[in-house]
Amino acid sequence: MLKKRKAFKNELSIPQKLLAVVIIIIIFIIMVIPMWNAFVVSTSTALSATQNGIRLWWDDFSFEGYQYVYKVTKLLQPFLNSFYVTSFGVILQVVLSAFAGYVLIQKDLPLKKFITSFIMLTMMIPGDLTLISIYQMNKQMNLLNSYTGLIVNGMISGFSILLMRNYFISVPYSLAESGRIDGASELRIFAGIYLPVSKPGLATVFFMEYVSKWNSIMLPATLITDQKKFTLPLMLKAMILQDNSTSGTAFAPENAVMATIIISTIPLLFIYIFAQRYLLAGMNLGATKE
Amino acid sequence: MKASKYLKRIIRYRFIYLMLLPIAAYFLVFSYYPLALGIYNSFRKVKILGGSSFIGLENYIEITKNPLYMAALWNSLIVGIGTFLLQFFWGLLIALILNEIKNKLFRSLIQTATYIPYLLSWAVVGGLWITILSPTGLINGILRLFQGDAFRPIVFMAEPAFARGIMIFTGAWKGAGYYAALFLAAIVSIDPNIYEAAAIDGASRLKQMLKITLPSIVPTMKVVTVLAAMGVLRNFDQIFIMANSSILDQVRNLLYLIFNDGIIQFKIGLATAAATLVLLATIIISFTVRRLTRYDDTYSY
Repeated sequence: MLKKRKAFKNELSIPQKLLAVVIIIIIFIIMVIPMWNAFVVSTSTALSATQNGIRLWWDDFSFEGYQYVYKVTKLLQPFLNSFYVTSFGVILQVVLSAFAGYVLIQKDLPLKKFITSFIMLTMMIPGDLTLISIYQMNKQMNLLNSYTGLIVNGMISGFSILLMRNYFISVPYSLAESGRIDGASELRIFAGIYLPVSKPGLATVFFMEYVSKWNSIMLPATLITDQKKFTLPLMLKAMILQDNSTSGTAFAPENAVMATIIISTIPLLFIYIFAQRYLLAGMNLGATKE
Repeated sequence: MKASKYLKRIIRYRFIYLMLLPIAAYFLVFSYYPLALGIYNSFRKVKILGGSSFIGLENYIEITKNPLYMAALWNSLIVGIGTFLLQFFWGLLIALILNEIKNKLFRSLIQTATYIPYLLSWAVVGGLWITILSPTGLINGILRLFQGDAFRPIVFMAEPAFARGIMIFTGAWKGAGYYAALFLAAIVSIDPNIYEAAAIDGASRLKQMLKITLPSIVPTMKVVTVLAAMGVLRNFDQIFIMANSSILDQVRNLLYLIFNDGIIQFKIGLATAAATLVLLATIIISFTVRRLTRYDDTYSY
């Protein structure tokens, strides 16, 4: 038996395998080098960061890039802005998607068809294509340059609702029905039966939305002009001010820009390390048809 | 009688309707109203100091005559389709090779390294690549190694000839790991018995790849294609971060132009008309791609 298996060793031939490994190592290098380069430059002195050449190892290790963004760029404020707006927005998003998802799984709910298409149709109206009107509206409501504006716009998305609905639908509906027969209130059925068993779904929405809100550029670029309210991506955009980088003189020293990049990335790395399975679950769900 | 029964059901579900209330209110205010307002304004001349007048299709006509919008459509399509194709094959290559790698540590190392860029914002990815492509950056450093004294740094980000290529490459760099993860998830779920049977019949591993693996993940390829088609005209972040005045003519795309006309220059009517056209075009493109890939036939359950 063992021998037979060995005879049918189902693998690529040695040269093919070698080629595959070479290709994947090249891809690996292309993927990693920009990030490694950023890390090295961020922990180098400004002088060695401006020198020509390949900077994949330290000439002059230093934290002055980080000191610069702390003292001169005052990066703590945009970091806290991003953190506050993202966290608050995501918590609201999780709660409201759970509400909406729960509504959508109710059987014989009057007007259910209408409600379902009312919610799902919004997925066809991407916020980036109604941006001008959203700007005008926020202006009328005095939400420009406010945290509230950043939190409220995009507070609910059809995608998260769909995700929650699909989670709830895997819970046996008889649980809800027997709860109703026992006279449990709807609130108890929702909060006591559905929510506890749907923790992975809630976590998936939480982390997917955290990443997307943390990275959001278009909405803050539209609503925020006051530098005190800048989120991290806006600050970064200001620091890498394009026309400067082409002429070689940057708005901020290169090690400071790279330090900002590293700081913006750290929360996402944490999410990847600790919540990878939720991200992958959400990603696969996003790519399957409802 | 029937009506009262219906009413009773509504009363029974009152808590559900209560839950629906904030969601319905949100979508009415932040989704449907802006859509309606945008379409309304697209037929009007909106003055900055308030007041507007109906001008029919004038904004739409102006867009079709405006060379900037036509160029932006072209730029969106070239960069969008180019990125998709490169990202597709890059992701597929990663997935196919990862599937052959038996060493778990090596495998998860590669998967992590390829997936992380997908999680980063365009501000970060743009910043990384602008640095690498700068006159004092890594690429010029490598060129200098080869060229020695004859070396003159190339300002890649200011070179119109490279602009679209850079956008396509960096776009695919950011997204390849995402496609790879999707493809790999599909490959892993293929029944291993099929491979075993093929191996016993004497099919080489390479042949199995072509005859078993690739056909089995066609549904995922279709999903990826349809999703990409829905986003092809909606790239904003990348160009907003990475474009500069020397290369703007090559990369300025529709959303960038709409943002600039509408938010910065207050040409509300023109910008909303353009946005409405992009919305229509997106619907038409995704419908067409769905048809072409027979998405709905093969992928429904």
